[in-house]
Amino acid sequence: MRRFKWVPALLILMLVLSGCNGFTKGGSGAEKADAEAEEGKITLDFWTFWGSEIRRPIIEKIIEDFNNSQDEIEVKHTFIPWGDIWTKELAAIAAGDPPDVVINDINATALRGKNQQAENLSKYLEEDDISGDFYEELWNATLYEGDSYGIPFNTDTRVLFYNKDAFEEAGLDPEQPPKTWDELWEYAEKLDVKDGEKYDRLGFYPMFGVQTDVWMMNADNVNFVDENSEVKINTPAKLDTLEWLNKWHQKYGADNINSWKAQMESQQANPFFSGDLAMLVQTPTFYTQIRDYAPDLNFGVALLPEKEPGNGHTSWGGGFVAEIPAGAENPDASWEFIKYLTSKEAQEYWAVKNFDNVANIEASESAASSDEFNDNGKMVYELAVEAMPLTMLTPTSLVAPDYMTLVNPEFDNVYLGKKTPEQALKDAQAAVEKEISKK
Amino acid sequence: MVKQAAGRQKVSHFETIQGRRQALNIINWVLLAAGSILMLSPLWWMLVTSVKTMQEVMTYPPTFWPESWNWSNYMKTWEAAPFDLYTVNTLTITILVVIGNVFVNSFIAYGFAKVPFKGRNVLFAIVLSTMMIPGFVTLIPQYVLFAKLQWLNTYYPLVIPAFFGSAFNIFLLRQFYMTIPDELIEAAKMEGASHFWIWWKIGLPLTKPALATVAIFSFNGAWNDFLGPLLYVNDESLYTLQLGLQVFKGQMSTQWNYLMAGSLLVLLPVIILFFFFQKYFIQGINLQSGGK
Repeated sequence: MRRFKWVPALLILMLVLSGCNGFTKGGSGAEKADAEAEEGKITLDFWTFWGSEIRRPIIEKIIEDFNNSQDEIEVKHTFIPWGDIWTKELAAIAAGDPPDVVINDINATALRGKNQQAENLSKYLEEDDISGDFYEELWNATLYEGDSYGIPFNTDTRVLFYNKDAFEEAGLDPEQPPKTWDELWEYAEKLDVKDGEKYDRLGFYPMFGVQTDVWMMNADNVNFVDENSEVKINTPAKLDTLEWLNKWHQKYGADNINSWKAQMESQQANPFFSGDLAMLVQTPTFYTQIRDYAPDLNFGVALLPEKEPGNGHTSWGGGFVAEIPAGAENPDASWEFIKYLTSKEAQEYWAVKNFDNVANIEASESAASSDEFNDNGKMVYELAVEAMPLTMLTPTSLVAPDYMTLVNPEFDNVYLGKKTPEQALKDAQAAVEKEISKK
Repeated sequence: MVKQAAGRQKVSHFETIQGRRQALNIINWVLLAAGSILMLSPLWWMLVTSVKTMQEVMTYPPTFWPESWNWSNYMKTWEAAPFDLYTVNTLTITILVVIGNVFVNSFIAYGFAKVPFKGRNVLFAIVLSTMMIPGFVTLIPQYVLFAKLQWLNTYYPLVIPAFFGSAFNIFLLRQFYMTIPDELIEAAKMEGASHFWIWWKIGLPLTKPALATVAIFSFNGAWNDFLGPLLYVNDESLYTLQLGLQVFKGQMSTQWNYLMAGSLLVLLPVIILFFFFQKYFIQGINLQSGGK
């Protein structure tokens, strides 16, 4: 048996390794949880995608404050990478071992309610009605058949950033940003600096930062599929929008647009920072990038221009909710924590430290006058708060969750010159109606 | 006569042919160098980005030579998350996976190549057919299975499967074993050796190049695995390097300089491995394309 002397060695190695982190259930976290359980505390596992050196300390401070504020619940934060967190959550729900609280996409909240992936919060709201604390549009997005499945946490909107120096150079008043679509066009013409076929400075292109759909919402305030599951794609206002956007596309030409777009989408070197792009639609939080990466930029900010005077500066946004995944072990404790997360105190702290829009109205308004912001910061945040009531959400349709995959190619057909705007909208309308009738 | 003339002609043109060859060589060199530069340019871009300030990363137009080389980015990257711990975790998983893959697959492959038994070919075909099933199809059933075994939030789901063979590695090693003459095995058997002994004493040493290939591929696979740890590990103290790198990527913005610095550091062992085992990497590719 001498020749098998490696067998015990291998076994010993296995045993040593099995004592390592990762081979005992739950690792070190579980030991900690056990220690706390002895004190009679409930441990909550809280999943977020906020792991950056900026966001992580902020959410962990909020958690720490909550943990210190009472002695029954101990919240433990786990960072799961952005883009994978909800896939992982779904797997965990299916396996019957979900976290206790998770930050999730607001637009699909009703869909998760319908699919029973999140806990119904109505019984808590009956005792403790906090629905009035949040922007109505956000609150409504969390409802499925009148019941709430998540509490709005943070949100965003879209506003127009513009370069004041470029305005001055082009003979425009830097304090008078464009208010209508016509003005936007007129200003862009003046701001363009052309060098042969190429542009040294681009005045504005509506589809950097946002897409066709946002301008369509801006035009008629109606989502592609409304709350009664009626398809509202082929409408006169949306047709105007598509024609208008196509005009921009023809103005700059596909080659110019594609090369600029590639740059914008790289999330690196942004031409707005260098003054090569004079106006850009972005979220208010974009300000933090200007602050950090282009501190000398002389910029202003304005509401999204309206289609024509009086039409309304409707903008578009999204956001996140805090929710209890279906099957979580301690929903009552989870609810206590969610209530704290969405309270004015925690929301204001998040808003100010992150320069992020929050769902709690009172917190947003008091953040706008925070002493922690400088003049530029205040300017952007105040405008963001002003834009919030004008901001539409586009909740995922319960009858055709993926309809945008049918609609977007039709828009592309217009920009590629393959279809007229009339034909494209007609076809998109028909395709989505067909998809819905299949259900 | 003709032959002679041709011979003489060849001799008299020898110089120019060599000259032509040299010219051809130079062209080859230039083409190859251009190709290498093209292949290396993403790596260069990683390196340059990793030492830039975030402000410079955001400058338009992008700079190909950084204004200043901020090597401190690497320190900051390492400190942004517990990367020491992540390295230990990743190494633990990787080493176990490599051990499992090398020994178990070799053992199975020996059986398929050298031990005649009824239904061997059918069984081998079944093993191979598992290669045709895309990993994503089995992902959810596998997850549910591991959940039922109470293995979530441990390394078992990442390590144990390596001890149950993988079709590709079995195939690769079986093809290698097929090149070992049966007479060798027969001779050992005549001497009274068991199959286990033959595998251990003759099989393993003779298949070293193929084993190295399997080891390298398993190392790469386990080291770079993102989906596995993402799905099965919940506790941040059990995270691996690939998960750790994700802290630099946010929903709206990415800390490119840290992400690139971190990626380069994580890539380093793979590059070192490549330089040491270059020979086996190439052999592996030959084996993969069925050249063996």
